[in-house]
Amino acid sequence: MIQKKVCMVGVFGTGKTSLVQRYIHSLFSAKYHSTVGVKIDRKQVRVGETDVNLLLWDVEGRTADQEIPASYLRGAHAVLLVADGTRRETVEQLFDLRELARSAAGDIPSIVALNKADLKDEWVLTAADTSKLITGGFHTLTTSAKTGEGVEDAFRWIATATMKDTLPAVQPQVRHGN
Amino acid sequence: MSAEGDASVRELTELRELLVGAERRQLDELRRRLDTFELTPEELAEKLPQAIVQRAARDRQLAIALAPTVENAISESVRRNPQEIATAIFPVLGPSIRKAIAETMSGLVNTINRAIEHSLSPQGIRWRIESWRTGVPFAQIVMRHALVYRVEQVFLVHAETGLMLEHVPEDSSGDADLISGMLTAIGDFVNDSFEPRQTGELRAFAAGDLTVLVETGPQAYIAAVVRGQPPNTLPLKLQTTLERIHLQWSNPLASFNGDATAFATTQPLLEECIETVLSTDSDATRKGLRTFAWAIPVVLVIALVSWWATRGARQWNAAVERLEAEPGIVVIRSDRANGKWQLTGMRDPLARNPSLLLASRGIDTNDVAARWQPYMSTEPALLVARARRVLTAPDGVTLSVNGDSLVVVGRAPASWIARAKALAPALAGIGSVDFSRVSPGLPTELGEIVSEVERAHAFFAAGSDSLDATALATVASVAKKIEALIASAAANRYDIVVGVVGRADPTGAETNNLALSRRRALTVRERLVSLGVRPSRLTVDAVGSNDPISADSPAERARLNRSASFVVRAQPTASDNGAERAR
Repeated sequence: MIQKKVCMVGVFGTGKTSLVQRYIHSLFSAKYHSTVGVKIDRKQVRVGETDVNLLLWDVEGRTADQEIPASYLRGAHAVLLVADGTRRETVEQLFDLRELARSAAGDIPSIVALNKADLKDEWVLTAADTSKLITGGFHTLTTSAKTGEGVEDAFRWIATATMKDTLPAVQPQVRHGN
Repeated sequence: MSAEGDASVRELTELRELLVGAERRQLDELRRRLDTFELTPEELAEKLPQAIVQRAARDRQLAIALAPTVENAISESVRRNPQEIATAIFPVLGPSIRKAIAETMSGLVNTINRAIEHSLSPQGIRWRIESWRTGVPFAQIVMRHALVYRVEQVFLVHAETGLMLEHVPEDSSGDADLISGMLTAIGDFVNDSFEPRQTGELRAFAAGDLTVLVETGPQAYIAAVVRGQPPNTLPLKLQTTLERIHLQWSNPLASFNGDATAFATTQPLLEECIETVLSTDSDATRKGLRTFAWAIPVVLVIALVSWWATRGARQWNAAVERLEAEPGIVVIRSDRANGKWQLTGMRDPLARNPSLLLASRGIDTNDVAARWQPYMSTEPALLVARARRVLTAPDGVTLSVNGDSLVVVGRAPASWIARAKALAPALAGIGSVDFSRVSPGLPTELGEIVSEVERAHAFFAAGSDSLDATALATVASVAKKIEALIASAAANRYDIVVGVVGRADPTGAETNNLALSRRRALTVRERLVSLGVRPSRLTVDAVGSNDPISADSPAERARLNRSASFVVRAQPTASDNGAERAR
C-alpha cells in the first residue's frame, strides 16, 4: 500500500472542506480546524494496478490575519489548491500559496480546483483569468461541492502525479461559467 | 666512407632501437624517477591504509598531524548541513546521553522520595502503614501503586510526512494512518505555538487515564498510547526501539516515498513495546519480610519479658476493677505495701464475698490484706436481694426495683401479698411498693385444671360463629372443668371468674372481625351457661384479630385465631357471706 501526503490549501471560505467531504473517509470532526488548524482524512485512489492512499491534510484557510502554517505543508507529496470562482482575490492568491507550498515541500505537483462551479450567476472568472493560471504553470479544473463535479478528477490527477515522474494532463471537462 | 659510416651508425641506432628500444625507455623512466623520487596517487592509494596503520602503531604523530584537519572538516560539515551529522551520530549519541541523564536523575529521585515521605495525605499515611508493615521503602510503595499501566498501541511514523510506517497491534485501529497524521499535525501545532526551541519537542500528552508518549528521532518518531500511569522506563524503551529502527532501517527511512512495505519487519520490535503491567506486591512483601525476619524473635522476646514483668500488677488491677463493679462493694484504697496487696473499702453484708471474687480473678487471697467496713447499699441488686430475704418471696414472684419503688410481679398466695404489702415499705431504700402486677394465686393442685381450661380452644369455620361437633365437645369438656374448678376454689376461699375470649383471623375489615369475634365469644358463653355454668362466673372479651395467637404458617395462624379461648381469674373470696361458696 502506497501512502502519499496531500495538502489542501486555499483562502478562507473557498469551500475546501465541503468540496471533498462526500468523497473521503473521515475520522476527525471539523472542529480540528478551529483548534489544531488542520484535519486529516483519507482518500483511496487506484492508479493502474496500485492502490494509493492519499492522506489529505485539510489545512485551515488563509485569512488576512493568519498565514497557513508552513509546518503542515512539510513533506507533502502534492498540493491541492482551492480557489473560489466567485471571488477573484482567491484566485490571485494562488501564486502566493504555491510559493508557500514549494518553500515548505519543494517542487511538488499542484493542481488548482476552481470551486463553486454551480454558482453560475456569481462566477467572475473569465477565460483570461484561466489562461493566466495555465501560463503560470498551473493545472486547473473546475469543481463543485454541490454537484461533485471535478472532485474525483482532482484526486485521480493527484494520485497519478505523485506516482509518476511526469505530470499527467488534466482530463478535458465541461467548463462552467465564462 | 663517411657517408657509408654515417649510414652504418644510423642503421646501428635503428637496430638498437628495434632490439632494445622499449627497455631503454623503461631504463630512462626509472632513472628519471630515481632522480626525482615521488609517489603517484595510484601508488599512494595502494599504500596509504597500510602506512596509516603502521605509523599509528609506532607513535601519535599521525593523530597529532591529522587532528586540526579532522576538526576543521567536522565543523565545516556541521556548518553546512547539521542534519547530516545529527542523523549519523543519533544512534550512538542517544545511549551515552541517557547514561549521563540517568545518573543525574537517580539523585533527583532521592530528593523526590524525601519530599514524598513528608506528605501527610490520608493515602500517604495508608501507604506509610503499608511500608511499615511490609518493610518496603515508602517511595517504593508509592511507585508500586502508581505502576499499573498498559501500552495499547504503538505507531511508527515518518517524521517529515506524518505518514504511518508501521502500527501495532495490527487489528487495533483501521484508521492508524489518519491518527499518525493527526499526531504529526498536533506535534507541528505544538512546535509552531509554543516555541519548542526553548521547551523541547512534544513528548507526551494525556487525556483522562490515556497518555500518548512521543519519542522523536531525525527521520521517524514513535508514539505509544498508554492507559494508566506509564513508568519512567517506558520513554527509554521507546527511545531505544527508535534508535534501533534508525540504525537498521536507515536506507528505507532515507528513501521513504510513501511505500511502507519495508517497515513491516519493524513489527516485532514495536510489539516488544506493547505490554501490560499490573501491580503485584507478593514479591516485595516476601522481600520485606525476609529483610526484617531477624527482628521478629527479638521483638517477641521483648514483648514477652515486659508482659511477664507487668503481669502481676495488671492482674491485680483487673481484679480490683471487678470488685468495684460488684454491687454492694466500694473499694476506697488499693496499693502494694509490706509485700502484700492492701485493700480497704465498704461492703454490704448481702454483697458477694470479695475474697471469692478476687480468687476468681486468679489472685492469691493469702497475698491480700483487706479491711471492709459494713454499710447498707441502695443499689437495685442489693435492694432486691434484701427484699427477697425479708419478705421470703415465693417462687412464682419476681421482685425488681424501679427508682425507689419495689415492683412485685407474678402470682402469689393472697396471704403472702397481704404480709408483703405491710412489710415492704419498711425496707431501707424502698420508697413505695407496686403490687398492681401480682395476682393472687390458686393452690397448686388447681393450677393444673386452670392450664387445661386455658389451653382449650373452640374452633370456628371461616366467617362463622356457630359451633360444630368438635367445638361443642370442647365447650362441654371446658364446662365440666370450670365446674370442678369453681368447686375446688371455693373450698380454698377463692372466687373463680372465667373470661371467654373471641378471636378472628386477620382477613377482612377489623370492625367486622371484632364483631365476629364477639359473636363467637357470646356463642361459647351461651353454650357454657346452657351447660350449667352460672353467667356471673363468665365474662366475654372480643379482640378481633388484634391479639393473635402465633403459629408457624399463615394458614395455621388463621385457623388458630378463628376461635374462642378461656382465661381463668382467681380472687380470694372477698367476704364470708357464703353465697358464693354455697354454689
